[in-house]
Amino acid sequence: MPPKPGPGDSAAGSGSNKRKAAQQQTPSGRGERRDKLHLARAVPAQRAEAALKDGELDLQAFVAAHEFEIRSLEQSMATSKATGSTRAFQRLPRGLRRRTASHNPKRVPKRLRSRAVKEAKQDKTPTVESRKGKPRTTRARIRAETAKRLGILAERKRRKRLKRAEAAGASPDSTNAIGKDDGAAVRKPRAKIRRNLLNEPPTPPAKFRKRQLDKTWLPTHVWHAKRARMTAPKEPLWRFSLPLTPNEKVYRPVHRTQGDRGAVMWDASYMSTIGLYGNQAGIERALRRIGVSQENCWNDKGRRWRMGCRSWSGMLSRETSRGRQQMCPSSIFWNPVPSDHEPNNDSTKKKRELFLRVHPSAFLEVFNELVRRAKMETPQLYVEDLRYEVGSIDITGPASTEALLSVLTPYSTPQQPKAAHAGLFQSLNGLTNPSALPANAMLGFAIQDPRLRYPPRKPSTPEGEDEEMRLLETIAEWPVESGTQPYGLFNRNARHAASLLPSQKFIDRRRSRITPGASLKPGVGDPPIPVILLASRSGSSTQTQGTWTLLAPWSCILPVWHSLVHCPLSSGGNPRFGGLNETRQVAFERGLAWFPADYPATAAGVEWEREQRRTRERAWAKRPKSKRVEWESLDLGAGRKGEVGNGLACDYELLYGLPPLDKADEEEPPSKPVDEDAMDVDTHESAPPKKAKDDPLHLVTVITKNTFNQLISSPDSTSPLPLNATLTVRITVLSRGTVGPCARIYRLPSTPLPAPTSSNAEVPATIPPQSSSSPSTRLPHNLRAQWLDRIPPSKTPSRQRPNQSKITKSDDMETRKRMVARELLGPPSTPFPPPKPNTTDIGGHPLVPDAVDLVGFVTTGSFCLSEGMGMAIGSVAVDKVLPDVRADGKEGRLCVVRNAGENVGWLARWEAI
Amino acid sequence: MVRIKERYLLVNIVYPPDPSKPAESSLPSHVVHHQPTTDKLTYQSLLKAIKTEVALLFGDYGSGSLDASLSIKYLSLATSTFIIRCPRAHYRMLWAALTFLHHVPIAHGSGRPCIFRVVRVSGTMRKAEEEAIRRAKRLIIAAQEEASCATSTLTDAHVLQEPLPTDITDESSDESMGEGDG
Repeated sequence: MPPKPGPGDSAAGSGSNKRKAAQQQTPSGRGERRDKLHLARAVPAQRAEAALKDGELDLQAFVAAHEFEIRSLEQSMATSKATGSTRAFQRLPRGLRRRTASHNPKRVPKRLRSRAVKEAKQDKTPTVESRKGKPRTTRARIRAETAKRLGILAERKRRKRLKRAEAAGASPDSTNAIGKDDGAAVRKPRAKIRRNLLNEPPTPPAKFRKRQLDKTWLPTHVWHAKRARMTAPKEPLWRFSLPLTPNEKVYRPVHRTQGDRGAVMWDASYMSTIGLYGNQAGIERALRRIGVSQENCWNDKGRRWRMGCRSWSGMLSRETSRGRQQMCPSSIFWNPVPSDHEPNNDSTKKKRELFLRVHPSAFLEVFNELVRRAKMETPQLYVEDLRYEVGSIDITGPASTEALLSVLTPYSTPQQPKAAHAGLFQSLNGLTNPSALPANAMLGFAIQDPRLRYPPRKPSTPEGEDEEMRLLETIAEWPVESGTQPYGLFNRNARHAASLLPSQKFIDRRRSRITPGASLKPGVGDPPIPVILLASRSGSSTQTQGTWTLLAPWSCILPVWHSLVHCPLSSGGNPRFGGLNETRQVAFERGLAWFPADYPATAAGVEWEREQRRTRERAWAKRPKSKRVEWESLDLGAGRKGEVGNGLACDYELLYGLPPLDKADEEEPPSKPVDEDAMDVDTHESAPPKKAKDDPLHLVTVITKNTFNQLISSPDSTSPLPLNATLTVRITVLSRGTVGPCARIYRLPSTPLPAPTSSNAEVPATIPPQSSSSPSTRLPHNLRAQWLDRIPPSKTPSRQRPNQSKITKSDDMETRKRMVARELLGPPSTPFPPPKPNTTDIGGHPLVPDAVDLVGFVTTGSFCLSEGMGMAIGSVAVDKVLPDVRADGKEGRLCVVRNAGENVGWLARWEAI
Repeated sequence: MVRIKERYLLVNIVYPPDPSKPAESSLPSHVVHHQPTTDKLTYQSLLKAIKTEVALLFGDYGSGSLDASLSIKYLSLATSTFIIRCPRAHYRMLWAALTFLHHVPIAHGSGRPCIFRVVRVSGTMRKAEEEAIRRAKRLIIAAQEEASCATSTLTDAHVLQEPLPTDITDESSDESMGEGDG
């Protein structure tokens, strides 16, 4: 078998003769390749005489034979690697790999294409046919015929128009040039923005209109759709078609780029912008009502914010019958009044404008609330829905400033010198972290069309200490307050002018006239693009990476995006783009809660939780019965059977004893987003409160970290706790283990024998009585101590534990024998008969506490790459953890986290965020 | 894509000293143990012997599961080393069959008594080759050292004999075998 029948093998049958003949016919065919491969893989070997000297054993011959063997094996490894059978498309780095590149040489980069074609021919790979051939299906044939007929019609129309123009007297060429190239002849009308009403999304081109009936595309949709997994066509997210995650594997790359080197960016145009206009006093009252109630916003500390030099970010909330209810996180910034404007001290007369940026899932709630508040004021304020007017790009990572600097060129013409903020922005060269800037810094200026300087180039990196000192001085000084001008983005006309960018063709023609490589100067037809840059910090520390948010008119996002993704970075590569999953990942790695998933007490969070439940339910039901978690048969130890509550949900109904949602309500499609925008506002206003009444999850309220800290420090029962109060916490698993969404959070069981403590009185009635009373008596009495033993001693390297009975490799034979003898002769370590499994512990892990000690649920969780251990974001019931934390601040913050459907819990520590 | 999973066994043919014959004291023991194998051992005869042994030990099931892809990738008679390929799921059968072979399988008659020692089970040819190189290097050094020792103190040659790097109780080879367990 091993020596393949060679070409001269006489024993070969007729079949192999045929093959041989075929091989000879196609000299470059498969047979030759195979022979070559076979030859390369054969290892030369010596016969027996080589190791003998005159038929006798000999040391020299022995050594020589083995040396020959070494050489020949090394040679063989090298040749077989060199003639390796890797195909051209396999040699590509991951970023350049494309689908079906094995069958289509055109998907391979040009430098490898000829090789790919050759290999495909050699291997007789079935390759794709050109799509330009005849249409094969009836539908395609009809479509092709219609297209042909339409083309003829269009041609006829064009000829007719030309003839008419000739008759009018003008030369046909000039009309053609004007009418077609820069699009100047047909002015796009200014978008209609209605006050206090919702606006329509921009009308998409006819080609794409049918696909956007019940959703809107981002400005970069087509770009993303080729490179990312989008939301399913029938299931848009927040009425947008959003990129969920790039096609490439990016989990680890995103972790690296967002913190270490490079930059990650998102098209965040789905974030909604709301404009609020009116007198300053009225605006202040309205804002106070929706949650901007911190005193330092309105006293002298907030002067810079009110001037329009800083932005504010925080939670918005609204007054309901059950008290204040959180709506969503938001950032708010004012439009500065011109500095030369004579100061008007009467704040009721001063007309001001401001933008709110909110998440689309909470947009309607905030908008309706704002409209209501605005109408209550006299003189009335008014609200504008600027969702499709202002788009944005988020960019984070050490190279984010560098990327922005190379793409955003301030607009300056002799008539219109660049703004002060533009100069300040350009002086930020060398900044690696936007959170080093003053908190919530904000810049507004106009940029030129980024296509004029396409492709973007690396900015010169600053060198020397002088440059660094200058940068530090700029950051410390931050001279934004002198000579402020209103931001162009607030100006509707400026936004509209910016949306009339010249066509790509026109720019290409202009470029062909100048020297290659030089950049174009903005001309008369190039409008300035007003932008606003917001620098935000993640958390309060200046060490973690901050994020830049670039706001620009909706239709200018695409050219900026194209330039940004092709921007070369000094750390190598280009900025990466991320999808929705990556926003979540980045927030998680920075230890932040992500809206809406980690805010279960907001309406948007409830909606998200409901949707997640449905998704998990579907995924669970889809699996075969033998492969899905059987919740009833989960053995939690000590005779406790079954999952606590619904295993597919963060079961707040169980935790707070809320009534379950009516089945009928759940069955009906949760949201009917048919033409939400086209509906009248009146119907909207009535819709959400009705829904809120129905869903029991809306009864959960949230308390902030500050309130919680006050509650701890104040003695018992001075301030009443809101009903069903929840607290968002960050959980760090102390030893091994990771937890996922829906994991159960338990407090540590109380030390004495389970007598009903004060907190146990609030155990909801939905827990069956037998589960709360009988097994708890069977739990080991020292369960708390068992869990406390699990705290790892410390992170210092003195972890030399004495391991006695372990046989180590270094022991000599005598010691080993003695150890084995001792093990065999000694008394058995476990009593006989052994106890039944899962009664005192679960495979060495302590039992999880009882259902009465359930305090909350994990909303996001996994292994955290930045911390190197399991982390999670969750929410806990305040009334259950408060007594423990008051008693002992350190031990009260310990908890046990157990994944849904598993019986092993992990010790963890939580902290409020 | 489904890939056919294989195992590559690196095997040494070891010649134990014959107690009936007086030992040649002048030669290092390594050279004696790893002496070359006769040229009468061919690919075919070796394969045939293995297949017969497998059929004897495991019957039709064994020969059926091994026959498909059993092949000798490398056979060096000068150094008594070969690499054999077999299906991943059944490499233990092959190993057992090799263990039960006691003579050099030549076409006609029976060869010298010997031991077939599997020293490495690996998933790729490359790793088997690397191991063969490593062993050859160690063998050269050990043989030369022993020879120099023997010339200096002829009398102590057998007393000083340290455990061979390729000895049966060698730990490293055990590890490599264990790691090959599919």
